[in-house]
Order: sequence, then structure tokens, then C-alpha cells
Amino acid sequence: MRPTTRAMTLDDIEDVMAIERVSFPVPWSEGQFRDELRRQGEGRRWMVAEKDGVLVGFGGVAIFGDEAHVMDLAVLPAHRGRGIGRDLLLTLMRQAVAGGATRLTLEVRPANSAARALYASVGFVEAGLRPGYYSDTGEDALILWTPELDASALDAVAAADAAQDLVLAIETSCDESAAAVMRGGTELLSSVVASQVDFHARFGGVVPEIASRKHTEAIVAVVDEALVEAGIGLGDLTSLAVTHGPGLIGALVVGVAYAKGLALATGLPLVGVNHLEGHIFANKLADPGLEPPLIALVVSGGHTALVHVPEWGVYHTLGQTLDDAAGEAFDKVAKLLGLGYPGGPAISRLALEGDPAAIAFPRAMMRSGNYDFSLSGLKTAVITYVEAEKRAGREISNPDLAASFQAAVIDVQVAKAVRAAEEHGVKAFCLAGGVAANAALREGLRDAMSERGIRFSVPGFDLCTDNAAMIAAAAHFRLRRGSFLGLDAEAVAGLRL
Amino acid sequence: MKYVIAFDTATEHIAIGLAAIDEPGQTLRIVAERDFSAPRAALGALLPAVRDLVGESGITMEQLGVVAVGRGPGSFTGVRIGVASAKGLAHGLGVPLVGSGTLDAVAWRFSTHEGLLGVVGDAMRGEVYPALFRCASGRCVRLEEDRAEKPALTVERWRSRLDEPVLLTGNGLAKYAGVFVEALGDVATVADTALWTPTGASLIAAASIQTGPSSLASVLGLDAAAAYERADPGALLPVYTRLSDAEEAEKLRQDPVPSSGVLGPEGEQRA
Repeated sequence: MRPTTRAMTLDDIEDVMAIERVSFPVPWSEGQFRDELRRQGEGRRWMVAEKDGVLVGFGGVAIFGDEAHVMDLAVLPAHRGRGIGRDLLLTLMRQAVAGGATRLTLEVRPANSAARALYASVGFVEAGLRPGYYSDTGEDALILWTPELDASALDAVAAADAAQDLVLAIETSCDESAAAVMRGGTELLSSVVASQVDFHARFGGVVPEIASRKHTEAIVAVVDEALVEAGIGLGDLTSLAVTHGPGLIGALVVGVAYAKGLALATGLPLVGVNHLEGHIFANKLADPGLEPPLIALVVSGGHTALVHVPEWGVYHTLGQTLDDAAGEAFDKVAKLLGLGYPGGPAISRLALEGDPAAIAFPRAMMRSGNYDFSLSGLKTAVITYVEAEKRAGREISNPDLAASFQAAVIDVQVAKAVRAAEEHGVKAFCLAGGVAANAALREGLRDAMSERGIRFSVPGFDLCTDNAAMIAAAAHFRLRRGSFLGLDAEAVAGLRL
Repeated sequence: MKYVIAFDTATEHIAIGLAAIDEPGQTLRIVAERDFSAPRAALGALLPAVRDLVGESGITMEQLGVVAVGRGPGSFTGVRIGVASAKGLAHGLGVPLVGSGTLDAVAWRFSTHEGLLGVVGDAMRGEVYPALFRCASGRCVRLEEDRAEKPALTVERWRSRLDEPVLLTGNGLAKYAGVFVEALGDVATVADTALWTPTGASLIAAASIQTGPSSLASVLGLDAAAAYERADPGALLPVYTRLSDAEEAEKLRQDPVPSSGVLGPEGEQRA
């Protein structure tokens, strides 16, 4: 049974003392707890957690105006690591906020990594040191604070813990205006994408100013459609989410401004999602069994990055493109061949009829020893080849050229992906981003990974290109970390994972 | 009692106003206003200031019955920050979203002025957003449509029709006051720099005389559902007066005659 929480009474003191004594080198005395309980309900909130009738944990906060101090929090050793501390802490936080506090603070020993992880998991961040705070060892205390909290934010976290969160996610980082509604991080109720691709096609690439204008025109209708399709109203939601980077700054601004307006109007908490994290979570949506540690290759019109994910929420970018993103290279070569925009689908279609070994294009950075990519050299090689052939009066086989170009891109990506997976010893690999729709790249990676017994995930085409379902999935995870954006949040074009 | 919240972020100045809609008669009474300089900081600064202004006035978000926003012209991103924030706010509250021209909001700072008023907004890239107004009996009435053009062109147009004094205002004067004063001579006076950008009150005053779709006048007095339908937050759009650079360049390629902007002298769309 899930543990339950209730207010502490004097009758609990014996059990509480037992937990206190095994938990801390300098435990509180019984008298101190009695003093505290006298103020229970008047500036103090002491709670206990019970599991199957046994008192397994307790904690307390003191409320001073709009600030609250977490006084104590402990769980019986045999019951640790099962979310009881988290339940208690969230309960204390909700009680503190109900009592008028907007921020919480506490001290923790730097060496207490389990406690620090718990506090970080509900949004506490380090704000300073209290020198020599612990009398037994003379250790400094880390001072942690939460950002400004409100009741709806804590309700949203609790709803996410119970997989009952209902999130509206908004994505406007490039040229798709998208909104989605999701329950519990997995149940997709709607996903609406208004693509602008036709407006950009005649310019051979995304025009940022046009993208920003189209988002402004579309955003309300896209959100309305997502709500209607999900069969819910704004009042049913537990939180909002928005992509706040990376991407085109003017485009991101529209989504972030709109989402913050919605948050101010509804009182709903707003979660900020990194677009690349969203792409990685598209894999979790498509393949719920996918678990870290894993390596993700995020390839799109704007990004090409190899990312090591030791656990959800922790991202180490191993390498990225030094110049063009993969999708950009496809677009540029397609433009050169007069194939139109977007270039990816056109090139991969043409490549089916060509010989990938026909032209020996360079495999840039193949032996660089790191995980970075460079695609502008390949693009130049294609241009040089086309010009040389024209000068020589030879006819160019577009299918061969497309197939050879594509093979050069894919070979490097697969080689680096395999090396990253082997070096980090992961058992799972996922491919994400718009270029993940490229069949040859999917097959190349699938074969390479399955040969090595590594689980390979790639989302369906709908989830590869920009969408808000993946943002909602990532938001569920962020919610559980208690990570929110304030009304003062900015859009960040170069937001890092 | 319902309230109108209005804001403008088209210039580097944020203006916010809160007005009560007094019944009967649907007249507006300014309850609170705030304006402050926020260069390149509107996205972060706007909504916290809106929340604070509403909260400090002892009003809840649910009491807001209309959202009004300055539609520009101005900085493209600046205008969109205001418009997108306003769309989110109005959509979330389920209330109508109405607009006002940003230059109109600047003009209404001079509602006690008698005579001609030339508003010159900064359009960057060597251009301005000019608009002439006639202020009389406490009202400022617009005499020309929004456009973007070279200041020299504005001066020429205005000079040909000016035979009376004109008061000049607007943030475009930071760069071009000299051009205007030199060409217009003694008839022109430049207003104090503190009066070059909108205030919350001037924005609400300007919004209240707008007519047509997505206007404040078109929704006052309607019940909530009818008002929302009349001025759906999805319908209101910024006033840019210029296409994106990519489209302008494309137009030049297709049409070798250089264009002065999207809108012609009489405010008609160029072919």
C-alpha cells in the first residue's frame, strides 16, 4: 500500500525519536519535539508517514511569513529509497504554501547525497553555505531554496507523481506551430501540428520572420484544436508546458509569451522544455520500455548532436556539428540539384534509385577521435563535383549523386553513434529529430545497433518532426522534478541540454 | 465590475494600463497605469508587471473582462511579445482581445493639444513609421494609415500639406528630429522626449476610439460569449507595414520598381 501522511501528535513522539536517533549524529531531543508540537498548526506543520500502520517517516516545517524552513525530515532506514521522503516533503511543501509561504529553505550536509538528490528532485537549488553549521564535525551546511512556489505548482507535481497530470504543451521553436494534450506523460489525448512548410518552400529554407508571423497567426487556433480533440477545457489541465529553446529566437518568443499569458490567466504552473530533450522523449513515447543509460542522436534541420543520457534529465552532449546541421546539408544539396524544399525527403527518395558507392564523397571527421560532425565540407565537395562534371561536359546522375551524398552523411553518423554506444557501454540507443525520418539512416543505425545487441528506438514519422506531444512527454518528467518557469522567463535560442 | 487590461511593447518602453468599465454607459475609468523603459527585455518584464499592477489594484485576474494590446507598428519582435502575451492572457481568461495602434497610443498622450500632431516611430533600417493626427477637443484623430518609409519621404509628404504648426513626437525622433525640423522649419516643434512613447492611459484612450473588428468599442456592452466571439483572441494580428526581408527581396526581383513599403500613400495594399 502507498504510505499515507497525517499530522504528528504527542503520541507519535516515541516512534519519531526512534527514527530521529538512527538518522542523525546529533538528534533532536524529545523536549524539542514537544516544544515544536505545541506550536503545531500555528506556524509549524509536523507530519508523519505511515505504511501498513507503522510510522516510517516524519518531517516538519516552520512558517515565517512568506518563507518556510524545513526543520527536519527522516525516514526509517529500511523504508528509504521508495519515495516516502518525497511524499512527506511534498506534503510539507503544500502545507507551507497553504500556510502562506511562497518559498522554502533548508540546510543539508554536503556529504548527504541521498538527501540532496531528494531536495533537488522537488526543485530546491543551492543558494549558499552556512560555515561550520554542524557542531559535531564543524561541516558547513549547504543552504537550499526553492523558487517561488504556489499551490497549483505543488498540486501539479503531486498529480504528476500519481500519473494524473494533464498537460497542454506548446511548441514554436522553428516552422511548426504545435500543441498537444497528454495525461500522465504517456497517454496522448491530442497532438496538433500546423506546418508552415509551404510558406517557406519558395525561399529554399525557413525564413525566421515568416515563421514568427505564422506562429502568431496560428497559436490560438492550434491550442483550441488540441483542447477540442482531447475533449477537455483549460480548466481541466494541471499544468502548461512550452519549448523555451533552443531554436529560432523570434519563433520561440511567440510560444513563450503566449504560454506565459495563458499561465497568468489560468493560474496554471508552466514548465519549460528543451526542444532537444523533447526529441529524445519522442522515443520514450514511441517505445515506453526505453530506459537510460542510452545514447541519443538528435538530427534535424537545426541540430546534429550525440547525447549521452545516463538517466532521464541528465544529458551530456558528446559532440555536435561544427557547421551545418544534417537537415540543413540535405536542404542545400537538394537546392543545388533543383529538388525543392524540404530537401531531406526529396534526396532520400532519389537516393533509392542511385548507387551509394558511385561517387566517393569525403567522410568528414570520421577519424577525428571525437564526436563532432562537420557537414559543410561535404556540401562543398558536392558543389565541386557538380561543377567539375559540368565543365567536363558529362551528364550527372542525380540518383547516384543523392545516394552517394546521403551515404557519406550516414556513414559518419553511424560510425560515431556506434563508437559512442560502445565507449559508454549503453544497452539502448535512440534516434530523434526530423532527419530520423530518413529511411537509410534508420536502417543503417538499426543494423549497426542490433549487431551489437543494443536496443534501437526510433519514433514514427509523426513524432520525428517537430510536434508538441514530445514536449508534453518531457514536461511530465520536468514536472516531477518540480521545475517551473516564472512569468519572467525568457526564450533562449542557444539553450543547452 | 469588469476591467480592461491594456499593454504595449512595440517600443523599448512597456506601457500597462488598467481601466474599470463603469456601467451604465460603458465608460472607462483609469484605475492604475505604469510605464517603464525595458530595452530588449519585454518578454521577461511584461507579464510580471501586469500581474503586479492588477494585484496591487486589489483586482483578481477573473475580474478582467477585456484585454487590449498595442498592435504596432514597431519592433517586429517587440510587437509580437505584446500580441502573443495578450493572446495567451485573453484566451486563458476567455475574454475578447482588442487592439489599438501603437502610434495612436503615442498620439493620445497629447489629447489636450489643439492642432496637428506628427508621430514618428522608429522603423529601423533608415526608415520611420509616420502618422499624422489632428488633436482637438480632447481627441486625437488619425489622418493617414500606417506605413514604413524613409524619413525624407515623410517630410516631403507632410510639407506639401502643412500650412499650420505641427507638434512632433515618437521614438523615431531620436535619430531623425534633425531631418524633420530642418525640412519643416518654424512650423515644427519637437515634444519632450518623455512624451515619445505610450502610457497605459493613452493606450486605453486610443483603444477606446478604435472601430471595426477586434476593437474595444465593438465588444463593450455585449455579454461575455458574444464579446468573445466578436473579438476572438485568435483573430487579432500585429500591424507590421513591411513584409519579411525575404519577401521584400523577392518582390524587388519580381518588380524592378522599388517599393516604399507595403502600404501605398492611401493605405492600399500594393499589388
